[in-house]
Amino acid sequence: MRPQRKSIIAWLDLSPGEGVVQLGRKHKPDYWLVTACGILLLIGLIVIYSISPALALTNNVGNNYYVIKQIIAIVLSAVAFFITAKIPITTWRRSYKALLLLAGFATLLALAIPVNPMYPAHRWVRFGGLSFESVELVTFAVLIWIAHFLAERIRTNTIKSLRKTLQPLLVALFAMGIIIAGVQSDLGSTGILVIMMGVMAYVAGIPMKRIMMIAGAILIVLVLAISAVPYRRARLETFLHPDTNCQTTGYQACQSIISVGSGGLFGLGLGNSVQAYGYEPEAANDSIFAIYAEKFGFIGCIILVAIFGLLFARLKSIAERLPDDFSRLLVVGVLTWFSVQALVNIGGMVGLLPLKGITLPFISYGGTSVVFSAAAIGLVYQLSQYTALKVPTSQPPSSSDGRRSFHRNTLRRADY
Amino acid sequence: MVTQSVQRVRIIYGCLVLVIVIYVIRLFYVQVIEYGHYKAAALNDQLKAYQIPATRGIIEAYDGNSVVPLVLNQKLYKLYADPPLIKNVSKTAAKISQVIGGNPSQYEKLMHIPHTQYVVLARKISPAQNKKILSFQLPGINTLGRDYRVYPDGSLASQVLGFVNSNGVGEYGLEQALNKELAGTPGRVRAVTDAAGVPLAANKGNIQTSPVSGDTVVTTLNLPMQAQMEKILKTDYKKTKSQGLSALIMNPYNGQIDAMANYPTYNPSNYQNVTNPRLFMNAAVTNAIEPGSIMKTLTTPAALDLGVIQPNEAYYDPMHWVINGFNVHDIKPDGSAREQNIASILALSLNTGATWMLMQMSHVGGTQINMKGIYSWHNYLVNHFHFGKPTGIQQGYESAGYVPPPNPNDPSIDLRYANTSFGQGVQVTALQMGAALSSVLNGGTYYQPTLVSKVITPSGKVIVDQPKVLIRHTVKPNIGGELEPLMENVVKSYLRFGFSFMNFPSNYIVGGKTGTAQIAKPNGGGYYKNLYNGTYIGFVGGDRPQYLIVVFNIKPGTPGYAGSYGGQPVFADLAHMLINDSFVTPKT
Repeated sequence: MRPQRKSIIAWLDLSPGEGVVQLGRKHKPDYWLVTACGILLLIGLIVIYSISPALALTNNVGNNYYVIKQIIAIVLSAVAFFITAKIPITTWRRSYKALLLLAGFATLLALAIPVNPMYPAHRWVRFGGLSFESVELVTFAVLIWIAHFLAERIRTNTIKSLRKTLQPLLVALFAMGIIIAGVQSDLGSTGILVIMMGVMAYVAGIPMKRIMMIAGAILIVLVLAISAVPYRRARLETFLHPDTNCQTTGYQACQSIISVGSGGLFGLGLGNSVQAYGYEPEAANDSIFAIYAEKFGFIGCIILVAIFGLLFARLKSIAERLPDDFSRLLVVGVLTWFSVQALVNIGGMVGLLPLKGITLPFISYGGTSVVFSAAAIGLVYQLSQYTALKVPTSQPPSSSDGRRSFHRNTLRRADY
Repeated sequence: MVTQSVQRVRIIYGCLVLVIVIYVIRLFYVQVIEYGHYKAAALNDQLKAYQIPATRGIIEAYDGNSVVPLVLNQKLYKLYADPPLIKNVSKTAAKISQVIGGNPSQYEKLMHIPHTQYVVLARKISPAQNKKILSFQLPGINTLGRDYRVYPDGSLASQVLGFVNSNGVGEYGLEQALNKELAGTPGRVRAVTDAAGVPLAANKGNIQTSPVSGDTVVTTLNLPMQAQMEKILKTDYKKTKSQGLSALIMNPYNGQIDAMANYPTYNPSNYQNVTNPRLFMNAAVTNAIEPGSIMKTLTTPAALDLGVIQPNEAYYDPMHWVINGFNVHDIKPDGSAREQNIASILALSLNTGATWMLMQMSHVGGTQINMKGIYSWHNYLVNHFHFGKPTGIQQGYESAGYVPPPNPNDPSIDLRYANTSFGQGVQVTALQMGAALSSVLNGGTYYQPTLVSKVITPSGKVIVDQPKVLIRHTVKPNIGGELEPLMENVVKSYLRFGFSFMNFPSNYIVGGKTGTAQIAKPNGGGYYKNLYNGTYIGFVGGDRPQYLIVVFNIKPGTPGYAGSYGGQPVFADLAHMLINDSFVTPKT
């Protein structure tokens, strides 16, 4: 029998799937979520504004160059937030194939476009004066796809199937590993993606043993990848002994921890960063936490961590109380994405982890990161209108079809 | 019981909280416990010390009664490029060549040098050019200002002045000797800077002290006299086929140098182009030679001062003495043994006569040299006339000269000291010679020779350089008066011998003494046969000696005795110049 040829539209399958749970009545969204993100964006903007003279001097641009670009990014992210918050979640779920396609296309473009000599990795898509980091779109698309995929496997009770669940996930892992970690050599973003997938799979119910096995396999590959390439070995060496490599490979790591440490308990004050004046590389982007820590000290860092903590706590609370697997997995994915990214970034600054060129969500300068973070928050914001008041308790699975029943939880309003 | 998935969310969240707690502990460790360590590391990078250069003091000299500058400062600029920052190379090069000249393609080539952020395009561009170039605001192009020395009188007194090297340090001459006073005190800045080293404006830790400019030095030089002297030296250098000519004119009553020069010389504004560093030396101060018979002008007063001879004393001169088995005779062995007197010792330049004086120091009436005479002559050379040690004049590389030690165990010590009595085997500079004879002529006070008349501090305080007495009584006050006619007699004798240029107007007193000095071979083995230095020491005055003149002519090529034909004509030219240009007050 010849396989039936499908049109691309049919393949994209934008109709609501069989397993799509209709969410209950809306209630008030989680405003704390937006407040936390807003405060983080504002902190980022203030830090960027305060080091603008230093950035202008170091990078030979106008005094307000970075501030204006960041304000534009924040406006764009507000737009992205409203789009993801307003377009129904079912539509997003249905469009996962389209999003994956778009992400793949963007990645191909980034690989095809000649690179900027300053940043020789094929990570950016540029048109005109705008540039866009393809991996952020990939993360966003993978987030929705994995949530959908795992929810489907739960619904069809094949979540523990090697062939139906694990195999496609491993293929996806392998593909991302080759393209993002291999070709784009963006180990940081790959790490975030992999951990995000792993946590979502874990929450979806894939046995811990399998996840540990896969994690072990990845670790072995990672060790091989590091030991095979001299410059990666050097980087690891730099991480393990930053002080001896301060003037060479460890320069950024050294300067970062010096920035953080020299802030002390109370910091130097908003306008008094010295490290931003050419000492700290990427002061507005990857290293912004170090500059923040220099300005505001330990007290300031505690406040920042607390705001992130608030964001993570809200995400966890929403995830717990969501009635369906897709929504919960999606929010868990967002929580993992942001928390891992923040921890990897800050860990690099305080010498707990090797430096990976990734941004601090909402704080770092950089349009793509801010816009896609806001888009993800938009989805969660929308979902926060459908949470239950209480955390759902386990039910014995319905006898016949194995579907879970949420009938006691879905229609409860969380808030009035 | 919550569902498995919620449970797993909580496990994940628990892990997250745990990691965050670890991070907070780490932050506490880095920012609070290890604060001192990281603060020190930060300051180690950020805190830099700078010097703000002080304006170097200028050097002035007398022109009549007014004081005029001899060395000034001018701010000139170095033009440099930071090639990677240049936006439009050809346009930038064109604009630069438009202002300071030069071939644009040459500048373009410099701007294309790879892997560098600093290329010097031009040096010593003027303030006006600097202003113009900066007004273009060309990216990657900048200038750096620095004070350069400028010399309104060109090479005048260059060897006395010295120069300032590219590091701002004085070399040779006054610039070297008075470097500390002229340089001033640089200002200090200790500041937190950006990575490029530019101090950040508002920082509590910044320390700044302002620079203090250097002192203005007014030299004792009389500029018109100096200029005349240099002209004469240049002419006589050729006339006497000299290999180096040094002269000085000083005031015997306070040690001040009125003029001091050497030929050949150099232009200090182009000191970089001088290939022979000997040209930088002020040979009158730095070059000690065996002076020859001009030393007799000091042997005589020493013997007179000791009272072992009388000014009009006669003695029997055998025309040669045998000392340590060697013959001591005159440079011109003419005449036979006969009675001579003190005046003829100087006029005929009798080496046997000078040796006889040393014999009188040993034992009055005797004809032997013993250690008593040697000790007393050595005492005069070193402790009265200050030979064998630098005078301390404000000049770089002053030579101490050499006086042989009076070693009684030296089997040829008698001969060695007989030689010193007529200026061989002892090395002195022209300046040492002048300062020593000055002390005899002025009544016995050895003034430290000086080139500084006064110093003006940046605050305007004038410090007049008082004559500094190094030795109180070199000889008794009357000895100068006894020596004077003896030296005048030398000048008159030479006029009688036919040296018509030694004819001076009768209302002036002029005295002198020639020296035809043998030159020791550099590696021992005696003296050159036909190579001499011509020296001369003398005075010009009216009622009393007003100026003391010393001339050292290195290996003059003129036939005849070097002192008479190499040193004497230069002295004569200088003396005539002093008289003709009314520097000398005539007899009243």
